[in-house]
Amino acid sequence: MDLMRKLTILADSAKYDAACTSSGAGRAGGRGFGNTLAAGCCHSFSADGRCISLLKVLYTNHCIYDCRYCANRASNDVPRAAFLPQELARLTIEFYRRNYIEGLFLSSGVVKSPDYTMEQIIRALELIRYQHNFRGYIHAKAIPGASPGLVHKLGLLADRLSVNIEMPSELSLKRLAPQKSRRAILTPMAQIAAGHKQSEQEPAIYRNAPKFAVAGQATQMIIGASPESDYQIIRLASGLYSQYALKRVFYSAYIPTVEDTLLPAIDTKPPLLREHRLYQADWLMRQYHFTAEELLSEQTPNFNPYLDPKCNWAIHNLHVFPVDVNAAPRELLLRVPGIGPESVRRILYARRAGRLGLDDLKKIGVVLKRARYFILCADRPRGIHMGREAMTRALIDPGAITFGTEQLSMFDTAGTGLPGSGDVKTMQEAVEEAVLCLLAGI
Amino acid sequence: MPFGRNLTAAAVEYMYDGGLPGLYSCIYDCVYADEMPAHIRRAGETAFGLFPQKEVATDERRALRVRNAIHDKISPAALELVETVFYSCLKDKELHILRFLLLGFATGPAVMRMPGDARVHALKQAERHFWREQHLLLGFIRFTDYEGFLAAAITPKNYALPFLARHFCERYRHESFMIYDKTHSMALVYKEYKPEFVRLEKFCFNPPPEKEESYRALWKQFYNAIAIEARVNLKCRMTHMHKRYWENMPEMEDALLPGAPPRGAPSQIQERSPRGITDGALIL
Repeated sequence: MDLMRKLTILADSAKYDAACTSSGAGRAGGRGFGNTLAAGCCHSFSADGRCISLLKVLYTNHCIYDCRYCANRASNDVPRAAFLPQELARLTIEFYRRNYIEGLFLSSGVVKSPDYTMEQIIRALELIRYQHNFRGYIHAKAIPGASPGLVHKLGLLADRLSVNIEMPSELSLKRLAPQKSRRAILTPMAQIAAGHKQSEQEPAIYRNAPKFAVAGQATQMIIGASPESDYQIIRLASGLYSQYALKRVFYSAYIPTVEDTLLPAIDTKPPLLREHRLYQADWLMRQYHFTAEELLSEQTPNFNPYLDPKCNWAIHNLHVFPVDVNAAPRELLLRVPGIGPESVRRILYARRAGRLGLDDLKKIGVVLKRARYFILCADRPRGIHMGREAMTRALIDPGAITFGTEQLSMFDTAGTGLPGSGDVKTMQEAVEEAVLCLLAGI
Repeated sequence: MPFGRNLTAAAVEYMYDGGLPGLYSCIYDCVYADEMPAHIRRAGETAFGLFPQKEVATDERRALRVRNAIHDKISPAALELVETVFYSCLKDKELHILRFLLLGFATGPAVMRMPGDARVHALKQAERHFWREQHLLLGFIRFTDYEGFLAAAITPKNYALPFLARHFCERYRHESFMIYDKTHSMALVYKEYKPEFVRLEKFCFNPPPEKEESYRALWKQFYNAIAIEARVNLKCRMTHMHKRYWENMPEMEDALLPGAPPRGAPSQIQERSPRGITDGALIL
């Protein structure tokens, strides 16, 4: 099989892996070839609007497992291919030389056994690292169930490792991926977390300590193939962040590829809005010091489709506001809708030289459309009172409506009093309906 | 220096040689002549002749005095801001810099903490635009391999080449390459571990060799295979990767061809040859 055909099959099989970041490892160029940027770098954007940073391919899409949700499941009739180590190495180097990519993202289907598969991946990476002296970024998948010795070897070759948790609960994993077990996934995750921590401390003891997964580890789960609520999902994510020191959790809206009685019908649209809300919440937990329990609860287990999680939190916690931008501490400023970490940094810097007014905030980059209802500033010492209706209207996420009204059916709108997909006709109407419903709910 | 006050508006245009020391000399002259000129132009820029022109000769000693004054009396950060904005595409950047400096000399280091002031805001915006474009270009530059020599063309709005040079000289340390900035007619040539900036008014690339075409084809194939059809969002792609970068990216060639479906955004398809430079002599 020629390289073109292989690349087509193996890139196509890898495309559902969400992670394509190249951040977390800053390495200067040296005697080898290439370097990495700590901030990461996007090299292109594909037609779906996602960043292309790494050459994202599977080593092979042959697989002995039969996970129901996966396009490469053993029982699915698709063309199969596998790279040769030297082929993959050459392709990576040649793409890197032309500045097409920042490095390699290598995952694989499971051939023969997890250990055998890991050995193949390691062989390819060794060729790239040691023979071609490649100093660019490498993200590798650890195969659940592989022996600790191999996971360690892989971590010495790659900048970032990841083990996919696949399903948000053990029950769903059992149902949809019976050959994988929770334990087989969490064991390497714990090993990687420990290895990463140790490798961060070792240089203090001896120079030239081997670097193990400098950019840490990430994971991914599929959203919408199983019945878990948003609350369960972000609780799980928050647990993973604290227990396994993960850098990122990726959420991937389930796109049906095979007909299966246990899965949503093949014509189901991927729950993109829900995925978007989960990413927003994930961001709030990592960068804004929110906890999962503040965002959702047993009583409201799912996100509001019309409001982003931060605005939703704000209108249910009006007693915290207004916040005085000229006096409030960092943590409180971060809670204001329309103010992000970068704006907070600029506010803290600027307010030491004088009191800030609305115009200053606008120039700093604060989104006043949302923030104005929640702040006090130099020229508005008593705040802005426009009534709840105006406030709610300003906070509604236009994305929720432009995402397509079908999206809303992903949320169970029956019990919430929110308009469902059948009820709305125009954008204007949708906004008005949403305002009324939200007002009734506060 | 008698800085720290406003200058009297004057119906006069200043001309300088286009370099940073030239601009500093110009600023020195404006301040000592107590004139706020209507324009500060680079030599060679077309003027409409509304105002009498004053040509300022570059004086290294005076330039250094201005530079040191910015560093000592305002702050090192202000100096960095001014020198970045000088390479940006801000319209009338010379006057903006002059206005900022007058404010800075009056207020001192605190000027950097005044984001609400229009004079500071203008420079900050230009700086942000500069760094954003520079960062995007780190990813969007595409090299063509001419049997061992790598060549790339860019069409940036800001003069980012010196800032890109550092990154690529490190990344491709053991290679030979060039980056040609078409907008500013400048090229970075890196050979035998030495970078060099050359002025190039016109430059044309050979058609790529056969081996190169095969890697381009592989890359395009990868680019198309990695997109998920069920999630296609052309508007989102356009937001992250503006159309003006496409002309130098092989994977976007097909999307730019006349007759290609209008992809998402309403902007019209550019009438350029897809590979960028094709007219004129062959050099490589």
